[in-house]
Amino acid sequence: MRRLVLWMVALALALPVVAGTGWAQEIKLGSLNDMTGPTSDVGKDAALGVREAVQYVNDTGGINGKKIRLYLYDYGYRVPEAITTYKRFKNFDKVVGVLGWGTGDTEALSPTVSKDQIPYLSHSFSAKLTDPKTTPYNFVYGTDYSSNARAAMTVWFEEVWMKDPRFREARSKGEKPRVIMFYMFPSPYASAPIKALKNHAELLGFEVGPDQDVSLLALDTKSQVLAAKAFRPTLAWHGNTTMSVAATIKDAQALGLGADHIVNNWGFDEGLVRLAGPAAEGVMGLAVTAYYGDKVPLMDKVVEYSKKLNPGVPQEARLIRTVQAWAQVHMMAEGMRRADKAGKLTGPGLKEAFETFRGWTPGLGLPPVTLTATDHRTGSVIPVYRIKGGKFELVKQVDLKAKWSKQWEGEWFGY
Amino acid sequence: MYLPSGVYHETYAATHGWWQTGFARGKMALLVLFVFTLPLYANLYVVSVANITLYTILGALGVQLLIGYCGQITFGHAAFIAVGAYVTAMGVLFWGLPYPVAAVLGCLLAGLWSVVFGLPSARIKGFYQIMTTMAAQFITVDFIITHYVSRVGGREHYFSLPPGTITIAGWPVESEIEVYYLAVILTILCLAGMANLLRTRVGRAWIAIRDNDIAAETMGLNVVYYKLLAFFAAGVLGGVAGAVWIPSLLFVSPEHFQLSWGLWLVGVILIGGIGSLHGVVFGSIFVTGILELLKFAVIPLSEFYPALSERFLYVKEAAFGLAIVLFLLYEPRGLAYRWQQIKNYLNLWPFAY
Amino acid sequence: MAILLELVLSGIMVGSIYALVALGWTLIYKCSGVLNLAMGELTLIGAYVCLTYYQWGFPFPLALVATLLTGFILGLATERLFLRRMIGEPILAVIMITVGLSFFFRALVGFTWGTDTVVFTPPVFPREPLRFYGMVFGQVYLWSFVAAIVLLVVFVWFFQQSRWGLSMQATADDEMAALSLGVSAKRVYALAWAIAFMAAGVGGTLLGNINGLNISVGYLGLLVLPAVVLGGLNSVPGAIVGGLVIGVLQNLSDAYVGKLTQGGVKEIAPFAFMVIILLFRPYGLWGWVKIERV
Repeated sequence: MRRLVLWMVALALALPVVAGTGWAQEIKLGSLNDMTGPTSDVGKDAALGVREAVQYVNDTGGINGKKIRLYLYDYGYRVPEAITTYKRFKNFDKVVGVLGWGTGDTEALSPTVSKDQIPYLSHSFSAKLTDPKTTPYNFVYGTDYSSNARAAMTVWFEEVWMKDPRFREARSKGEKPRVIMFYMFPSPYASAPIKALKNHAELLGFEVGPDQDVSLLALDTKSQVLAAKAFRPTLAWHGNTTMSVAATIKDAQALGLGADHIVNNWGFDEGLVRLAGPAAEGVMGLAVTAYYGDKVPLMDKVVEYSKKLNPGVPQEARLIRTVQAWAQVHMMAEGMRRADKAGKLTGPGLKEAFETFRGWTPGLGLPPVTLTATDHRTGSVIPVYRIKGGKFELVKQVDLKAKWSKQWEGEWFGY
Repeated sequence: MYLPSGVYHETYAATHGWWQTGFARGKMALLVLFVFTLPLYANLYVVSVANITLYTILGALGVQLLIGYCGQITFGHAAFIAVGAYVTAMGVLFWGLPYPVAAVLGCLLAGLWSVVFGLPSARIKGFYQIMTTMAAQFITVDFIITHYVSRVGGREHYFSLPPGTITIAGWPVESEIEVYYLAVILTILCLAGMANLLRTRVGRAWIAIRDNDIAAETMGLNVVYYKLLAFFAAGVLGGVAGAVWIPSLLFVSPEHFQLSWGLWLVGVILIGGIGSLHGVVFGSIFVTGILELLKFAVIPLSEFYPALSERFLYVKEAAFGLAIVLFLLYEPRGLAYRWQQIKNYLNLWPFAY
Repeated sequence: MAILLELVLSGIMVGSIYALVALGWTLIYKCSGVLNLAMGELTLIGAYVCLTYYQWGFPFPLALVATLLTGFILGLATERLFLRRMIGEPILAVIMITVGLSFFFRALVGFTWGTDTVVFTPPVFPREPLRFYGMVFGQVYLWSFVAAIVLLVVFVWFFQQSRWGLSMQATADDEMAALSLGVSAKRVYALAWAIAFMAAGVGGTLLGNINGLNISVGYLGLLVLPAVVLGGLNSVPGAIVGGLVIGVLQNLSDAYVGKLTQGGVKEIAPFAFMVIILLFRPYGLWGWVKIERV
């Protein structure tokens, strides 16, 4: 009897060891998300999307047969947590690549990930991350904030200022359009495209008013809107996330600011329509993928997996951020597949694999991604949308490289 | 001072010793041995927790000096730690100073900055002092550092310090273990320094001010001078904490030094016991340890209640708030007092007193 | 010029909400000597409680009354559980209990409701702005102002005319004498906390109506402190005036001083102002003056 028990115990102890060797065929991926912090309104949705997308990749063959093991942590947009989590990725979880989130921590970690040679694919589209000379191991899956902002301003200029009868009188008098920027000054994310935007405003012939500081968590923006009103702007740029952009747009309507609005992509989603209500009508903005539920390839899988894995979250509450997370995970998976096929699934190997992308897209309405060893900007074709009747419709697509090719290759690169 | 029978001193100098019996000296030697050999047998995670504990001790030391030994209430200590950290970081990154020099510069500047905000203490006490120190915190961190200092060099609000940028005499301080040794040495030096400072004239002046500053003035103490000195010393200790903290960070940002950290340090003091150096150490170990244990306790519970692990930050804060409240209600003199009671009990057993 | 007037007037309207919260703070201090640093979190709790009632389908006035009742009960409970034992303890211990409570409450709110902004849907007040001599006001500001003023009048009347209010004044003035006259100090303390919770709750609700509610409303509580320092710690009219002044100051400093700096003035202007006040007139406009110069 005792011998039987001893054998069973030995077997029980040996089993995980045997099974463990089966798990050696796993590829480790880390993901930093904000589910409780100031950007959690968009971050929670993205985190759900990351999990669902990884599950889908694993269900459809993984990385050439190997499964992805996802280590997803919430860091609450807090810098100390970002640091401890990154150290954990490097020392304990030993990941091959990281899916990042916020601009501030991504930019600050970029010297470290370059030194550690861990590719970092972030949800932050800061233009500073697109120059391989300074940030060789940072990648993005969409066009960067500065180019997006330039495109949005260009579209408003061409489609609204030049064509809308409201401004005919002003144009005939030779007046210039006036723009004011609302964003959180100390936030690296919100302040990322401002320099480029002001440069573009000068190029197109705008008058630029004083910037207004609106916190990411702001609920009351009266004084900023009133201060802006003194400048009588025709256009307002919003650089924050949905919560504060909704507050500003509502205050602008309540106080009669009288300006059109263009919004950065992290403030322009279904949540904006819900929070701002009728004030959101006619607002223009940027989106890097198709919206949740649009008719694009792979969207049916997105909806199916969201219902399957997170039935507790209502479908109306899902945002474009889920789709963005799917695009991010698919780009990482594709890079891992190429690196694995070349036999080099390591940090530097993954980086090289990313730089072989030529016009790749997973569907999902993501503009084709092209990355080279000298340019980590994914492309130059940028769509701009508008809210009409509570829904998003495409206004126009701009090709910045075609319009301003000299500046695109030269002075605009890297900021 | 409890001395067992058979132990007696033959010189005056011996009566001033910190550890007057062989037993106490042996205990301390073992403790030092344990602390210095910890990385050999503990895994990296325990070392990183120890680093956080040491950082908390250094931060709380400044607060204890002001609140526990000088009677000046300060809620803005995180701002002075921030000054120390930022000056050290800027020294290393922008001015090309070697790390020890930059750290000393950081400590001095933190001390001077602390004196600036200690000036109102000449006129106001108690609650108003809380207000001015909170204002110091906001003005320093939320305004000056966030908007001006952190934009120096175009670093856009976070100074990157990749591992390897900080070196002491050519030896890079980058891994957790190296930071641990640096922190342990500095903590021991600071604790010893402060303990000795409190036995000198300056220390006695501070305690007199704490007990009754009007009486101290009537006895001839220059109260304003000693108060400002206390603020300076606390600022310097804050600067040490900041300088020690940076090597273990990958980048410095104002978010590390918010008001809640200053309040946290005051809470650590209260849990450990006001007016006692043991209290600083016990309070830090208790708070850091409890929060780590909480993490382990939450993991199995979150099978049943997943929100616990998603919103773990809130559980941590709620636990800390509750711990402060419970300690203040039921153990107002802190862990140091309880430690004294236990030691007395063991020393005097089987007698009651 | 119109912009200046708009800034001042909207500052007064928001300041009336600060005044309401400051009133609650002053009541606690006057009656029991407790310096309450958890005021912001009380505001937060009241606001989220009202939102929950509203989402359950109560019409807004009923939700407001329900919030008042809930605040009353919570105030009594807090005082009984946490503060009763601290009577007579040194001032730092009492303040730190309120700090601990603030950590606890804020974490509780964040845990239960998350950090997302939530709005009162359908909106309680009409969205159409009112135009008035070239100045534009959102209706929600006007209604909040009216509600805050009404509540202020009610509280001040209660404090000065009703029996309970007079007992509170007596305790605030001289506790020993009040005790000897038969006033129950325990009940007075409990009532002070209950009123503070109610005032803070309504203040939070009104703030939440303006643009939405999220956890940053809790930081408002810290703004109350400059207001009471300005008005004098134990003066009720001082608290009201202090709140209004802080509201106006925030708006003006953001609009005018904000142009000179790189931003962030709105949050720290009240504190910088408070430091200046403390250097020249530490007892505020109406506070009791206790000369203690060392």
